[in-house]
Amino acid sequence: MNGSTRSLYPTGQIDYISAVAAIRWLLRYKELTLLSTSKTTETRPLDKFLLAIARNQDKQAFAELFNATATRLKAFAMQCGATPTEAEELLQECMLTVWRKAHTFNPKTGSAITWMYTIVRNKRIDFARKGRFETVQSDDLWPEETGKELEQEVSGDLEGEVVRMMLETLPEEQRQIVFKVYFEGKSHSEIAGDLDLPLGTIKSRLRLAMKKLDTLAKEQMSWLIIILMMNF
Amino acid sequence: MANYHPNDELLMQFSAGLLPNALGVMLACHLQQCSRCREKARRYEQLGGEILANAAPVDVSPAALDSLLARLDQPAVAEETTAPVQGPEDIPRPLRRFVPAGFDELAWSGMTKSIKEYEIKIEDPNYTAKFYRIAAGKELPEHTHRGNEFTLVMEGSFSDKAGDYHAGDFILADTTTVHQPRASECGDCICFAVMDAPLKMTGFFGRMLNPFMR
Repeated sequence: MNGSTRSLYPTGQIDYISAVAAIRWLLRYKELTLLSTSKTTETRPLDKFLLAIARNQDKQAFAELFNATATRLKAFAMQCGATPTEAEELLQECMLTVWRKAHTFNPKTGSAITWMYTIVRNKRIDFARKGRFETVQSDDLWPEETGKELEQEVSGDLEGEVVRMMLETLPEEQRQIVFKVYFEGKSHSEIAGDLDLPLGTIKSRLRLAMKKLDTLAKEQMSWLIIILMMNF
Repeated sequence: MANYHPNDELLMQFSAGLLPNALGVMLACHLQQCSRCREKARRYEQLGGEILANAAPVDVSPAALDSLLARLDQPAVAEETTAPVQGPEDIPRPLRRFVPAGFDELAWSGMTKSIKEYEIKIEDPNYTAKFYRIAAGKELPEHTHRGNEFTLVMEGSFSDKAGDYHAGDFILADTTTVHQPRASECGDCICFAVMDAPLKMTGFFGRMLNPFMR
């Protein structure tokens, strides 16, 4: 059986990672069915802060969200090549946007940190092209989605588990390249130059990392289907 | 539902914010119509979220929070409250800033009677962007490409020897592709094309056309 004709049942190719994934999944699924959705979101502190900001313009929650994330947002900006001053400025703009757009955050479609990541990514793009109408703005690329439509097609935070596990188990040589893509915004050939490796090596390592993510996600779907079938 | 999709590398680069250009606009247009790629792109955003969560913390200026708190009650600056770009219904949202009218009102320029083009002015050092309109049942001269050419079918459909392409399909042609796309008999085919080098026509008719093409 090869990857493209994978059956719904993940027979044969279950390794340690997918077994762990299945167990975590099973627990998570139980939790979801036993508790109401609102209760599960209460268990994720960053979500809680964002929802409090959206509902009540809660400045205390905003301060706590700032304290929990600012050092990492700044670190991210600096690893993307911003000077400390620019990183502080980007941080200010990002957090203001968080305050103003908190109502667009939907905990069912993803984690708070992913939502904040999209904000810093978009700010970084728009920073570079302020006031130039003819260039692409982040709103062109990622129009605000309507929450309801999105909910219907997303398994939401459950996928967060898969991504986390993938990063944890990725060989260092692959992880290094994934980080360079996200942090430094470098093209594959620039990364090849940086690491003094052939372009083909960079591409194949990145492809392996992406394949792993894809495989984990597919396996997770298979397990979900099995669990659902066992329950009904 | 699209049958031809951008590859994972492009989707990852898109989610990492590395395609803030004509190609990014094209991916955004494809994603609007393709739930499969939306799901993948979202997964790569989650990867970005994880990477952000794992960044080694850097100390923030002690005044940062207070200065933010003081700004929370100020009204948003104009650029943030700007309504989404309004535009013709048949132009996908990511393209509206760059296309002044619907497909039927655009100032198409004719390469021939049956093939027309419209240059999309997206400021981008690496790519040029165009719409092609191939009249129903007509075909482009056989050609290859000097570089990569990305095509997104907007309306109608076309086929070449490798397949049939319908609205939403995303196709990459490169220097190894020699093809002669033909629009379906059912109606004009409109494509959004982004290319990193001008077309190079190979057939006799193509060579005649070439000097007029940029």
